Amino acid sequence: MVMDSLIKRYSYTITRNDFVTAGKSSSDIKGNLKAIGIDAKTIRKIAIISYEAEMNIVIHSMGGKLHCDIYEEKIVIVCEDEGPGIPDIDKAMTEGFSTAPENVRELGFGAGMGLPNIKRYSDEFKISSSDNGTIIVVTVLI
Amino acid sequence: MNFSIMFDKEKCKGCTNCMKRCPTQAIRIKEGKAYIDSKRCIHCGECVKICPHEAYSAQSVESHKEKNYKCKIAIPSTTIYGQFPKGTEICKVQNAILKLGFDYVYDESWASELVSKAIKRRIEEKQGFKPLISTNCPSTVRLIKIRYPSLMEHLISLEAPMEIASKLARVRAKEIFNLEDKDIGVFYISPCPAKLLSVTDPIGPKKSCIDWVVPLNTIYGDLYREVKRENDTCYSNPSLKGIRWAVSGGQSKSADLINYIAVNGMENIINIFDEIENGKLSDVDFVETLACVGGCVGGTFNIENPFIASNSINDIIYNTNEDALSNEDLDKFEELYENGVFDLTVTEDKENKDKISIKEAVRRFEKIKEIVALLPGLDCGSCGAPTCFAHAEDIYENQSKLYDCVVLRAKSKDNL
Repeated sequence: MVMDSLIKRYSYTITRNDFVTAGKSSSDIKGNLKAIGIDAKTIRKIAIISYEAEMNIVIHSMGGKLHCDIYEEKIVIVCEDEGPGIPDIDKAMTEGFSTAPENVRELGFGAGMGLPNIKRYSDEFKISSSDNGTIIVVTVLI
Repeated sequence: MNFSIMFDKEKCKGCTNCMKRCPTQAIRIKEGKAYIDSKRCIHCGECVKICPHEAYSAQSVESHKEKNYKCKIAIPSTTIYGQFPKGTEICKVQNAILKLGFDYVYDESWASELVSKAIKRRIEEKQGFKPLISTNCPSTVRLIKIRYPSLMEHLISLEAPMEIASKLARVRAKEIFNLEDKDIGVFYISPCPAKLLSVTDPIGPKKSCIDWVVPLNTIYGDLYREVKRENDTCYSNPSLKGIRWAVSGGQSKSADLINYIAVNGMENIINIFDEIENGKLSDVDFVETLACVGGCVGGTFNIENPFIASNSINDIIYNTNEDALSNEDLDKFEELYENGVFDLTVTEDKENKDKISIKEAVRRFEKIKEIVALLPGLDCGSCGAPTCFAHAEDIYENQSKLYDCVVLRAKSKDNL
């Protein structure tokens, strides 16, 4: 279907434990969507989703990539990391459940709201995880 | 004409100070002179403050003395109490205002105290939805309308004290002087151009109950002389809870809030709004935002330095005898709240952007980014646009040329 074709993909490399630049990629995504003129409600959802996804990669993974795919009728955030994977996805989806280490919590992160928040603001949420890494595909309809 | 900021083209040197300072990028320099895009202006007064050539000024307002009403009511801004030297008998201030040609004074602080109660009530009612953002400062509300429309639902949507004061003042004046509405003129003594404009061009669909606005600095000289006169009678005191509103954090303190954030100054506000957009601060009850540094005491129509004014107001709060206070309308709170007197509707700005497809919009954005890549990225403003990105946008819209960039021009000369 023509309507479903990808218009543009913005990609970012996220580095593990890099709290200095953490948040830059999601902020860039937000800036791009604002400049393009996507409606405010959609941007708000994408801002929250991409910020939480970016922080998840920084805190929990060995590093990874964040993509923002723009379609005529939806925005899709794709988040793929290089492991170590989520042992129990159901548990990770529970509000308040966190495996973030103490030093990260001291920075104000790791409240166990990341994945639940991402799901809450999405219209479609897919997650798969193995030792090799976790892939999250989140869709927000425009 | 509902523009509160006057611009004198003759005085403008095209120095770009205002353009770089403008929080909504509403200013461009064309042929050596500044131009304000009124659709993007939020009337914060930053340009008035920064201009070294005094090219900007507040709208010239005809004197209240020339207006014909049977009764002229003055509503002094809470910041007025910070404008006099410490130790001034503040109970004289309202009397001094009367002598400037008014028939009745209704202190804004009385209404501020009432709105504080409304803030507390509204937060209790909306416990599930955080944070709520203050709606007292018209500039920050306009900033949300223009730059952060997704935060509209966070607005606490309560009328500013100046509006509540004008309604209550009318009711009282009608009783006291036995007059009809049309015989009464309400004059707000304003600390800033944003409040001036909120009267002629309200942020919501409701019409303002204020008829005229007097910039505080235009009457200060006369006022000061009257206040300093000895053996003068006292009229009545402001509300000590209410005058806290003049200073950043005062709304929250006056409403006895604990879990709040008070932000002042446009740059700080922009940072906080970004955070809220990212889903943060959802555990904070109230975000109090005031465009001017220090709060309303930082407004351009004030006389005193905002920090000195804050200190004076603190002095009044701690050294005034509470027995001398009068805020008769405080008992009316429940009735007013139930009747929706505090409710403010903020309408979304429908931007007249041509509806283009997302594909087209992405193409436009990518094209602009290509232009940005050609520019030096200094954001120097010499081309007449505040940033290289804004310049690229202007080039794309045929409002500007690539070689308006002085850096590119200099480089091309080197190559000749």
